[in-house]
Amino acid sequence: MIKKFDKKDEESGSGSNPFQHLEKSAVLQEARIFNETPINPRRCLHILTKIIYLLNQGEHFGTTEATEAFFAMTRLFQSNDQTLRRMCYLTIKEMANISEDVIIVTSSLTKDMTGKEDVYRGPAIRALCRITDTTMLQAIERYMKQAIVDKVPSVSSSALVSSLHMVKMSYDVVKRWVNEAQEAASSDNIMVQYHALGLLYHLRKNDRLAVTKMLNKFTKSGLKSPFAYCMLIRIASKLLDETEAGHDSPLFDFIESCLRNKNEMVVYEAASAIVHMPNCTARELAPAVSVLQLFCSSPKAALRYAAVRTLNKVAMKHPSAVTACNLDLENLITDSNRSIATLAITTLLKTGSESSVDRLMKQISSFVSEISDEFKVVVVQAISALCQKYPRKHSVMMNFLSNMLRDDGGFDYKRAIVDCIISIIEENPESKETGLAHLCEFIEDCEHTVLATKILHLLGKEGPRTPQPSKYIRFIFNRVVLESEAVRAAAVSALAKFGAQNDDLCFAFLDDEVRDRATFYMNVLQQKQKALNAAYIFNGLSVSIPGLEKSLHQYTLDPSEKPFDMKSVPLATTPITEQKTEIAPVATSKLPEKLAPSRQDIYQEQLAAVPEFQGLGPLFKSSEPVQLTEAETEYVVRCIKHTFARHMVFQFDCTNTLNDQLLQKLTASPTVSPVPATL
Amino acid sequence: MGLLDKLSGWLGLRKKEVNVLCLGLDNSGKTTIINQLKPSNTQEQEIVPTIGFNIEKFKSSSLLFTVFDMSGQNRYRNLWEHYYKESHAIIFVVDSSDKLRMVVAKEELDTLLNHEDIRCKKLPMLFFANKMDLQDSMSSIRVSQMLCLENIKDKPWHICDSNAIKGEGLQEGLDWLQGEVFNNKTVTLGYKGREGQVKLCSECQFTHAY
Ligand SMILES: Nc1nc2c(ncn2[C@@H]2O[C@H](COP(=O)(O)OP(=O)(O)OP(=O)(O)O)[C@@H](O)[C@H]2O)c(=O)[nH]1
Ligand SMILES: [Mg+2]
Repeated sequence: MIKKFDKKDEESGSGSNPFQHLEKSAVLQEARIFNETPINPRRCLHILTKIIYLLNQGEHFGTTEATEAFFAMTRLFQSNDQTLRRMCYLTIKEMANISEDVIIVTSSLTKDMTGKEDVYRGPAIRALCRITDTTMLQAIERYMKQAIVDKVPSVSSSALVSSLHMVKMSYDVVKRWVNEAQEAASSDNIMVQYHALGLLYHLRKNDRLAVTKMLNKFTKSGLKSPFAYCMLIRIASKLLDETEAGHDSPLFDFIESCLRNKNEMVVYEAASAIVHMPNCTARELAPAVSVLQLFCSSPKAALRYAAVRTLNKVAMKHPSAVTACNLDLENLITDSNRSIATLAITTLLKTGSESSVDRLMKQISSFVSEISDEFKVVVVQAISALCQKYPRKHSVMMNFLSNMLRDDGGFDYKRAIVDCIISIIEENPESKETGLAHLCEFIEDCEHTVLATKILHLLGKEGPRTPQPSKYIRFIFNRVVLESEAVRAAAVSALAKFGAQNDDLCFAFLDDEVRDRATFYMNVLQQKQKALNAAYIFNGLSVSIPGLEKSLHQYTLDPSEKPFDMKSVPLATTPITEQKTEIAPVATSKLPEKLAPSRQDIYQEQLAAVPEFQGLGPLFKSSEPVQLTEAETEYVVRCIKHTFARHMVFQFDCTNTLNDQLLQKLTASPTVSPVPATL
Repeated sequence: MGLLDKLSGWLGLRKKEVNVLCLGLDNSGKTTIINQLKPSNTQEQEIVPTIGFNIEKFKSSSLLFTVFDMSGQNRYRNLWEHYYKESHAIIFVVDSSDKLRMVVAKEELDTLLNHEDIRCKKLPMLFFANKMDLQDSMSSIRVSQMLCLENIKDKPWHICDSNAIKGEGLQEGLDWLQGEVFNNKTVTLGYKGREGQVKLCSECQFTHAY
């Protein structure tokens, strides 16, 4: 039995999630046992877990059922089981917005937050603040003030963080707690101090003067908490940025002084703040870069990572400053942490000399398959930057990129590569052919429609002007027969461009279809209005293709002295995005099921099949169907108006909705209704 | 749990748990009363208006009471009914010095008695005519008249004068409640002996008979 279960589990690939097949209704049914006395904490705990699980899975709870479950849960407050009580707090927070009357637990939570059990106090505060609105906040204000200055750190922190959440909702009430927050800010506990600073800042952040005063105060008095220091650094650099104060400001001095803090986190924060400042002089940058350099050789991977990531970011802006770290970065190339190694190499690519490019690229290709897409994108971006800097390196790069293109990878990564290749092609004409060849290879097996169409477009643009345009046609043609509509459409457009460019293009090696289509386009092109037609191929298609086909067909069957008139072709009735489906019918013989000509084309065809209508000429326009009967009647009749140059055709579609009766011998007797008399 | 408790548990003497709902208008003294009934080391020093409810537990000689002390403020009174179903007894507290709102108290009481979860149940109801110490307070007889308690025919009920601040009158009421609950239990469990009930009922009659 157990074995069987295991197997089933494996098959569904679920691992061992005991909650996988939970039914909301069953769980809510179970929740009724909350009403039983005595309480069974273990069972209740399990059911609460299920409810929270369902809520977090996004299961929708109706107000009534949620309220019922919530009130049942409130009864669990009679149990003194600690785990169960804390689970109740969690449930309250989760259900605060879906159940009605959640304020019912206000007194119970207030009692817990002021009670003797310290494990209850913090979580009770957090839950209480979730169910409290501005009007109710007044009632608990006294307790909040007391909790903020409570000597138990978890209580004080909970109160401070909850206050911070409530600033958004009840700024005016929370503002009155500033004195308590000030007191908490001098706490010995690093978290309490940090949270107090956070609250103080958020209460004042719209008042620049108050923020400045606060910064002055704390930068002078000093803080115990490294977290608080980091926050001060962020506040200070934001203020510097906003006020556009010069770097002779005391705020800058403060940040710089933090470079000498005992705590690495603070030092890093300060360095990062400085290197990200706009308009830093080399002299100002130097101390910050040198601490980052120091971190590069730290035994702690997190520090090395932080340092190299920051250096990587600033390498473009301040290459010379980062060059100072080249030696340390070189050491990181072989770092066992691939993320660090990647960042080191790409930083060096940005700052290093042209001569080192080959070596670095070789190094990175040795492990590029082991790093995540996110870092691969970093590599591609570095290559892209490098190609702009050292255009002569494009062949090395192109080779590297083509290898990357063949690897597995997600859309963002592939797009980065394709964009990079395209930009290289655009900037270096001599790289065009290799680049296009790589891209051709890529679209042979490309799952990203966006990229395939983009490349086909590029091929249509660049291919015809290459010395050997025929090389690309095979690749494009493969797309026509194998891909989804969007890609096929792009492929056909690309082909048309080849046709438009080279009248004498040899299609002999292609099969009938492409030849037909090519001929079709050639045909279009050979008509007298060459300029117009070419424009129409290059600039996208504004006419209905089946319509055009039909008109041309008519024209060839019935030769006349008059030149073919493009204006007689009905305009495409579908928006541009759907043109792809209109272009497709050209490949009629192979893909009939995927064709979707416009509505009007269908009508035209249907009407042409009726002998009486043959002399009417091209269909000018068909109306939307108009329902003439109610939807539920026995016979549904709708009418479509077809307008020709000199005629009007009314099409009545009659549908019999009864399956036991036959509809026969219908006549339509249209009457011209008199102009209604005025009442 | 002490050894004695365990022993009494084995002997079937473990204290029965009863859920009691404490209702009444705001400021009538519900929380103060419940606080007085708790063991002195767990009593609150300061009583504030209740928002929602509080759960308190205390023991009498033979029962373990779990009291849901509800909020009496107007906007929270509609939340009482969520707790009707699972309660075994009701304590209804009246501020006997609040003549003005006696009609409001009566109205709430009538709504309660007519509620579908209460109507057909033989719940014992204990009334406290609280704040007896105040000069202008009414007697329990007067209070029971104003609330028309004599119309309650299908439930055992009892009214006591009380001073929640000093704790006077509370024990008397609790003793009555304990007896009733026991009775109710024996009845529902199908016991034959009715002596206690008869006695208590006559006592009820006696208390009502003013
Ligand atoms: N003089 C006097 N005052 C009392 C007595 N009982 C309660 N009080 C006072 O009445 C006020 C209200 O008491 P609470 O116990 O909070 O009233 P409550 O019924 O719980 O009120 P809510 O929680 O709002 O429904 C408090 O100030 C008590 O001190 C009493 O017997 N005599
Ligand atoms: Mg109260």
